[in-house]
Amino acid sequence: MGSTEGLAEWVRRAASGETSAFSELYRRTRPLVARLMAGFAPLDPDEVEDVIQETFVRAFRALPRLKEAGAFEAWLLSIARNRARTRLERKASVRRLEDDIADPEPETVPALPEALQLERDIEVVRQLISELPEGEEKRTVQLFYIEGELSAREIAEQLGVGKSAVTMRLERFRGRIKRELLRRVLAGRWE
Amino acid sequence: MRHLDDEALHALARREPDAVKYFREHLATACEACESFLATHSGPDVLDGQVDAVLLALAPPRSDAPLDEVGFARVRRRLRAPRLDTRKWGLIAGAVAAGLLAVVVVPRLRQGGTGVEVGTASQEPGVKGQVGRIALELAVVVRGADGSLRRLDPDTQVDSRDVLLLRYHATEAGTALLFQQRAGEEPQLLGPFALEAGTHDLQDPQGLSGVSLEGESGPLTLWLAASPTGLQPSVDEVKRVLVGEGERWEQGMLAVTRFDVRVRSSQNPR
Ligand SMILES: [Zn+2]
Repeated sequence: MGSTEGLAEWVRRAASGETSAFSELYRRTRPLVARLMAGFAPLDPDEVEDVIQETFVRAFRALPRLKEAGAFEAWLLSIARNRARTRLERKASVRRLEDDIADPEPETVPALPEALQLERDIEVVRQLISELPEGEEKRTVQLFYIEGELSAREIAEQLGVGKSAVTMRLERFRGRIKRELLRRVLAGRWE
Repeated sequence: MRHLDDEALHALARREPDAVKYFREHLATACEACESFLATHSGPDVLDGQVDAVLLALAPPRSDAPLDEVGFARVRRRLRAPRLDTRKWGLIAGAVAAGLLAVVVVPRLRQGGTGVEVGTASQEPGVKGQVGRIALELAVVVRGADGSLRRLDPDTQVDSRDVLLLRYHATEAGTALLFQQRAGEEPQLLGPFALEAGTHDLQDPQGLSGVSLEGESGPLTLWLAASPTGLQPSVDEVKRVLVGEGERWEQGMLAVTRFDVRVRSSQNPR
């Protein structure tokens, strides 16, 4: 996480038109985007590759309009999640082809809290995980987020459950974390 | 009791004091309705990315990964290629290219030597290469800044506002790597493609692939290097063949075609 400032510098260089900065941004952030995709078990490897590609194409096209270089990572991950969800929903035929989840506008992405705040958030989430009742959800969350090695597909195999069950557990858990972070944002960071 | 919905999310994104105050309290305790809404809706702002950044930071840090060259080449190619009207190009250029390909003779068997055959006769636009089991031909159609399409002969001058559209004829299904090479420089990977037997537009799963010439000037060579399905030389192995240093693949299964253009940089950039 100490690399946030380093990343912001590459974002500024890319935004000023330095082409080699794009490959450095890609090299640094692709593993993170790929790890995010590993949570979407129903997507096959080709679809995952497409989504990763589309994420970077969108992010790099819009990058010169990104006002807060320090928010690049969160913005990129937001785009990646939107792309993956759009793909999943189309696959499940609940979203039409021309219908697309809108990505956050680069001009309006606000400055994000300091790295120190992120460290605190990480501690809060660790605490929340440790307080989960023992069971399938906790096991899934530990395998995917804490150990961080297996994909959701591999976890499904290991636990002997369906692919989408693992993704649903992760999403459910993530909804709780998102509520907690939103509350913290509302309680202090916007005032 | 009010729970999160689209309207509330917008209000929060606009920092409306009443909404902030209400949800700050409401979200202090677990709420199934709000959590499931948050799980399935994006925003506000980049909160989703922040949540994922925190969650993904829980795992032990990973070692620094090298650049995924093929993945980045695909991104770069899509960034450089303007979005094209696939259907329109397919019809017009298809007709253009079909006429073109009809006059190209069936490639002869290669008889040792370079692995790259350079067409010289003016009636033979494009360049053919054939090695082993796959034979490949390349036709190029140029799309001008005004949207016009015309067939391109090799070694002709194009404008830096033009886009090159590629159509290939392959005798076998296979995979191909597309490179561009500027004078005096190394070939640069534009991306990998799956080839089907027959005559097709070069395209990846996202659609038709065009090569933008924006920012180019001077001589430029496009290389398409194909190998039959199941044989996949690495990017570096193919590059060595292109610069004349290949050993194994040169004599093996690689079919290489090239197409040269001279790019005139445009005086009136957009
Ligand atoms: Zn609620």
